[in-house]
Amino acid sequence: MTPVSFSRVVEDAAAALELALDRELTGYAEFTPQDALLLEDGGAGVLAFEAGVPTHVKHSGSGRGGDAALADLAVPGPLRVECYAGGDPPVPETDQFAVAPGTPAERLAGDADLADRTRAAAPSDRAGGGEPMDAVEAFLEDDEKIDAIRERAREEATERADEWGFEEFAED
Amino acid sequence: MVEAFAVASGKGGTGKTTSTLALGLALADDYDVTVVDADTGMANLLFHAGLADVDVTLHDLLLADTGASVSDAVYERHGMRVVPCGTSLSDFRAAEPERLRDVVAELASDTDVLLLDSPATLASRDAVLPVVLADRTVLVVEPTIPAISDALKVQEYAASYGTDVAGVLFNRVTDGDAVDRVAEKADRYFEGPTLAAVPEDDAARAARRAGEPLLAHAPDSDAARAYREAADVLDVRASDADAVADRFRSAVVPDQP
Repeated sequence: MTPVSFSRVVEDAAAALELALDRELTGYAEFTPQDALLLEDGGAGVLAFEAGVPTHVKHSGSGRGGDAALADLAVPGPLRVECYAGGDPPVPETDQFAVAPGTPAERLAGDADLADRTRAAAPSDRAGGGEPMDAVEAFLEDDEKIDAIRERAREEATERADEWGFEEFAED
Repeated sequence: MVEAFAVASGKGGTGKTTSTLALGLALADDYDVTVVDADTGMANLLFHAGLADVDVTLHDLLLADTGASVSDAVYERHGMRVVPCGTSLSDFRAAEPERLRDVVAELASDTDVLLLDSPATLASRDAVLPVVLADRTVLVVEPTIPAISDALKVQEYAASYGTDVAGVLFNRVTDGDAVDRVAEKADRYFEGPTLAAVPEDDAARAARRAGEPLLAHAPDSDAARAYREAADVLDVRASDADAVADRFRSAVVPDQP
């Protein structure tokens, strides 16, 4: 039994998936919705992750896998997330339980940005070339856009220096 | 003499922790290196460094009355010193962040290179603090539009708080030729040099699963070679250890999450 390596209650599924993505979880996580009143047959979602990207899902209540398991797990509100880094996922790694990298973020969280970010982190996407490099090159030729990003970030940083008490570090 | 680097990216999934340990291991050939998991809200480094079972972590140093001394949370691994964070959220909540400054100040007084594995976000004060405190930042960036945008944001935050960019590390690269062109174009916007383009490599995934730093697990892999190149390009500038220690001591206390 792999010991739980991380456990916390988060406000919604987006936060739970983002947690796994940001910490590049390889192993599995259990998502347990906290609002038991909304649950008919209870149970948790078990998601297998590879480097932060969900690969397979099973719902422990319904026993269903893949997109069907996501439907069973799609309950709004807080979730307890327990991550088992390095653990062998108790989810069959078959087509029936497989999910596309961005699907949990879309179905559980309705978060298109997070879904895009997860897809971008997925190995299959990389193997297929991921984002076309010519798009990245074109982006880097757009001086105006990049200047706007930098300027906005500088403004934010200055505003927050004040808010966060970093004034002593802030440079004029 | 010490230089403190924040290893940062705007978002997660860029391989930042893998990169921090890889740079640390490569730099350890020439320097005394200390790696700190400065992402106190999301313990990660311990899994990469085979320290998942250790008793004392940075969190214990941030709790009142544990009696733990800094050296108790420092682990000699792979020729460097590693200070992991623990995974207990209750410990994190009870932690007194002002102690972090003193811990890092103490570590800075006794090492050549301090690498701070920084949170992958700019959303809170404690997440930005490592970048504020460091002398320079290493930006870990995937060659994608969102990742480059985020790295530019980190650069601007860093510059606003007086922290320079030591270099840009392109990571998880699948098309080396295209990334060379991307790096050349990106060079106009980034304040530091391109350190290397690290190829996407199954060895990195295998190392993470094995709980070993990449350079220890697969030293002859393409990715490991690229990290060693990056470490060669990184010109470590020793600054006065006391000054760095003072900077950490005088830093503001971050918010609890």
